[in-house]
Amino acid sequence: MKGNHSGTVRTGRKWRLTSEDLWGYAFIAVAMIVFCVFTVYPVISAFFTSFEEYKPLGSTFVALENYKTTFTNDLFYKSVWNTLVYTVFTVPLSLCISFLVAIMILPFSRKVQSVFKSLYYLPAVASGVALSVVWLWIYDPLPTGLLNSLLSVFGIDNVNWLGSSRTAMFSLILMALLAGHGTQIIIYLAALLGVPNSLFEAADLDGATFLQKLWYIVIPLVKPTTLFLLVTGIIGSFQVFMNAYMMTGGGPDNATTMVGLLIFNNAFKYSDYGLACAQALVLAVVIAAVSLLQFKLMGEDVEY
Amino acid sequence: MKKLLSVLVAAALTVTMLAACGGSGSSSAGGSAAASASGTAAEAPDTITMLLPPVSTTYQDQLSVWAEEFNAMYPNLTLEFENASWEDYKDKLDVQINAGTPPDIAFVEYDRVGTLADSGLMVDISTLISDEELADFDESALEFYRLDEGLYGLPVYISVQCLGGNKAMMEEAGIDWQSVQQNGWTFEEFREAIKAGATDDHYGFIFACAGVTAADYLNIMVKNAGMPAPFDEDLKFAYTSQNFLELLKCLRQIIDDGSTPAEMGSVDAGKRWNMFLTGQTMIFGKGLANFEGLAAENNAKLAADDGTAVEGSIETEYVVLPVPTFFGEAQQAQGSAGGYSMFRTVEEPDPVHQANVMKALYFMASGERAAFTCNELYLSGLSESARTAMAEIENEVPRNENNANAMALLTEQAAPARPDIPAEKTAQATRLMDEVIVPKFQALLAGETTPEEMYEAVCQAAIETFGEDGVVQD
Repeated sequence: MKGNHSGTVRTGRKWRLTSEDLWGYAFIAVAMIVFCVFTVYPVISAFFTSFEEYKPLGSTFVALENYKTTFTNDLFYKSVWNTLVYTVFTVPLSLCISFLVAIMILPFSRKVQSVFKSLYYLPAVASGVALSVVWLWIYDPLPTGLLNSLLSVFGIDNVNWLGSSRTAMFSLILMALLAGHGTQIIIYLAALLGVPNSLFEAADLDGATFLQKLWYIVIPLVKPTTLFLLVTGIIGSFQVFMNAYMMTGGGPDNATTMVGLLIFNNAFKYSDYGLACAQALVLAVVIAAVSLLQFKLMGEDVEY
Repeated sequence: MKKLLSVLVAAALTVTMLAACGGSGSSSAGGSAAASASGTAAEAPDTITMLLPPVSTTYQDQLSVWAEEFNAMYPNLTLEFENASWEDYKDKLDVQINAGTPPDIAFVEYDRVGTLADSGLMVDISTLISDEELADFDESALEFYRLDEGLYGLPVYISVQCLGGNKAMMEEAGIDWQSVQQNGWTFEEFREAIKAGATDDHYGFIFACAGVTAADYLNIMVKNAGMPAPFDEDLKFAYTSQNFLELLKCLRQIIDDGSTPAEMGSVDAGKRWNMFLTGQTMIFGKGLANFEGLAAENNAKLAADDGTAVEGSIETEYVVLPVPTFFGEAQQAQGSAGGYSMFRTVEEPDPVHQANVMKALYFMASGERAAFTCNELYLSGLSESARTAMAEIENEVPRNENNANAMALLTEQAAPARPDIPAEKTAQATRLMDEVIVPKFQALLAGETTPEEMYEAVCQAAIETFGEDGVVQD
């Protein structure tokens, strides 16, 4: 942003704030203070804590010990791998489902669209804990369980959904895929409504099929939205915690221990805040690297 | 540049997840310290804060009554309660401790004493409690709250974790449950009993093992296999002994027998209680003394055709059963002590305030308060004053004498507290349990690993943690 655009007058090497600038800063002051207190300060504080053995009555400086513990801990690597598997399956599939649903809703009138948007957004309003309880009921491991009863109709043997390391991760992924795409659908729908009708009319004149219109018009034009949802989806997925905490506790055999759960356990179960902060910072670096990679690969021709 | 900025902000938001981690030692003191600062004289008004879970059925409803009684005894002192659910209170307490502002008193189970004392904010009350107050408590019960030379709390109850049975089903399976209550049973006898009790309609045995509750199953069984604590008397880690391997084989055997469901690793505490009430299992774990009352309550609802009875439940009579013993070892029941501990903030403690807190601590852990709590939990009092008060209580529903005797016997046979185990070793063993033993045990229950593989993994992790000389090698 150039200086004169913001109303700031540049004279030589000095910046002079106009009253318009001051009003601008006044309006964003609350947000900035909240951001500094609840984001900037904790991040800086977490950075310093990661070099300490934290104790309420006085921490001990341990240099890189917490990072050393992190990188020599098999469970950390296993939790990163689990998180990666969860992310790879949930994020792209979730985007595809949301996009398809948005495409299917698009032809309806605004009122009908609103009804569908509300319905799909409904799970987001429910608390994660309540949803987990419902899913625990669905995944009841005994033959009398809901999903197992349904499968038995088709002659499929009883499945120990959350109790077996072969199916526990799949169960969490399935839950994530079916639990709610409301926000993504709403964002995709807004993006789809922004695609100019003239492009579709021109495509119709050229005799383009539905799939051709989708491939050559819709997908390129909603690419900024897709990139946004992909980046935020991956960030959210890397931080996944609630599903594993509520549904499996990380088990069985640590098959569903995600990085978020590991960090939580270190901080709040073992009170090892230094190690938890070190792991959180490593996770932040990993997320930043993945996000950068996404921008590099997909964001060259994207403008916001 | 804008993209880079976006990425950095995204990363920053990630770290915010641990926002509360970086508290500095200069956190302000809690309300209690502020209250005490207002007056240093013994008669100055003071507020004592407490963080409490629902210890028994109507415990939290009773708190306001006790607060009034305490205030009548000490007019300058006020009790202020913060109630929390069982699920929340541990996390709440940990967060408050790590922020440097814990409550003055919290309900603490004995197995957390080492960890909490390590924070430096749990107060050693051995110099604050009077000899008369101390003499009120059973010495063996106080041991649960001792660490090195210090005393870090006053116990209210010792709850024995055992098994529970459906009387009618056991009699139908030809099990002499009264003899089992009085004489205990070996694993072989238990195995035959649950085989006999398993039918097309119900399992012989179920234990809640979902998630972290798998640790309960192992902890209860391992005590009767010659390992009453994770460390032997020489402070060597015990779960590397051959007995541990043999125990794992036994626990796998009963799943392979078909006496217990193969999906036991996913059965949570609520489900196992539901299975007992609906007649889906003959024996279940873990059982607690007060389940007798809960079962009786449901029976009463069924009799009154009350819609709030558990759906599909049948009339059940709850029978207290001991955990079987393994390899000829003696019964060493899993006793879990619960009581109150005192905390300080990061500010220098005020002696007058601490003396006031001590009054409240003793008040809550003794006399009618302890009697009320123990009675609701179907447990015996641990102090003379509590037992005296309990004798005055008349219960509307008479207690089952057989169960009461069985529970008293198991309490006598409870594995003793081990205050000699250093907090650091306890913390290491807890992490080993959570990160290796329980996950592997879950895999064993699911049939995805063998007892031998699990034992090998446990030995390897234990040696990594404690060294070859720090583990039992037989």
